[in-house]
Amino acid sequence: MTFWKDFDEILTAEMASITGGLVAGTVLAFVVNKIELIPAIFILLPGFLEMRGNISGSLSARMSSALFLGAAKPKVRKNRILRGNVAAAILLAVVVSTALGFVAFFANMVFFHVLDYRIIGVALIAGVLSNLIEIPLTVFTTFWLFRHGHDPNNIMGPYVTTTGDISSILSIFLAVLIV
Amino acid sequence: MKGRKKLFQKITKVRRHEHHPVLHHAHRKFGISRKTLFYMKEYGPRSHVAHVIVKESIKILIMASIISSIGGIGMEAISAKLVTIIPLLILLPALNDMVGDFGCIVSSKFTNMLYLGKVGTKWWRSRHLHTLFFVILSTSFITSVFIGVAASVISYWSGFALTLDIFLKVLTIAVLANIILVAVIFCVSIIGGLGIYGKNEDPNNFLIPITTSFADLLNLAIFAILVGMFF
Repeated sequence: MTFWKDFDEILTAEMASITGGLVAGTVLAFVVNKIELIPAIFILLPGFLEMRGNISGSLSARMSSALFLGAAKPKVRKNRILRGNVAAAILLAVVVSTALGFVAFFANMVFFHVLDYRIIGVALIAGVLSNLIEIPLTVFTTFWLFRHGHDPNNIMGPYVTTTGDISSILSIFLAVLIV
Repeated sequence: MKGRKKLFQKITKVRRHEHHPVLHHAHRKFGISRKTLFYMKEYGPRSHVAHVIVKESIKILIMASIISSIGGIGMEAISAKLVTIIPLLILLPALNDMVGDFGCIVSSKFTNMLYLGKVGTKWWRSRHLHTLFFVILSTSFITSVFIGVAASVISYWSGFALTLDIFLKVLTIAVLANIILVAVIFCVSIIGGLGIYGKNEDPNNFLIPITTSFADLLNLAIFAILVGMFF
């Protein structure tokens, strides 16, 4: 292992990744006045960001495998594997975000003695909204990359983490406005 | 060709949880990769794709998200400070991304070293491990300075009344949090990796989720403690 080669590669990848994180942080700073009105929002936030990256990352990785193995074609219609993957991603986001809402609610009740049910609604609505943004974005980008001869596995990891962070914060903001 | 088709049909009928000999037979006879055969078994025409995915990933997803939420309790405790000191808020997602990335890099590289015999039981003597440590430490130092400066500049542009005192505190929090976390990531990877490898299991399957979950949780806790100390 050479120091400079690894240093160069890791630093370049990290710079791209954290620039996305800074964009997400800036969006958070602009909407924080609204979202802080809901108690326990900061308990929900890290888990929600983690969930979004995990679901979209896995969706992209599974679709990439299917595309490379020839089990699925890069098209939306008549695609059994894509249908199953999208259905699973929607169901997982709904279940996990509801679970996160309950965790935030109970943690808020136990540690801060605040009883506010709105956080469960915020988690559920934000989970659905972020899906509406993130799933089409993930699927179309994976297909586009594959069609243009790129390996989606190399690009989609940092891509879904960054877009997932931004879409999650925007979804939470919209969910707070709705609730 | 006919035999091949028959064999493929047989594979798609294999129950998902079985390690059926027909997979090994197809691999040997037709030279089809084991991964392709595994995929056929998992997501073949007889399998319900969504059901398979949900069943296999729901537990780990809920667990990973709940672990992160535990770290969120620390954030909620300092929420009043977070919303008034905007650079800290901008810093947070980037810091979280960075810690996850370093967790993945260290875990996977340490596992590779174990397999290649570059690290033994006397891991502290490994030259390769020393190099990896210094690469990660120097990278994390540069990137943490970058996010500290960038978060301060962005917050200043967006109207936050940034002072030299706040700027230095934000920079110190970013750098200190990163250095502590890099040390923790290495400890978890080395202890976990050696333990799992010693039990003849593949560290790749366990080490990344363990390290990143632990680092995410600790990141928020350390961040909350440092913010509490400095502000």
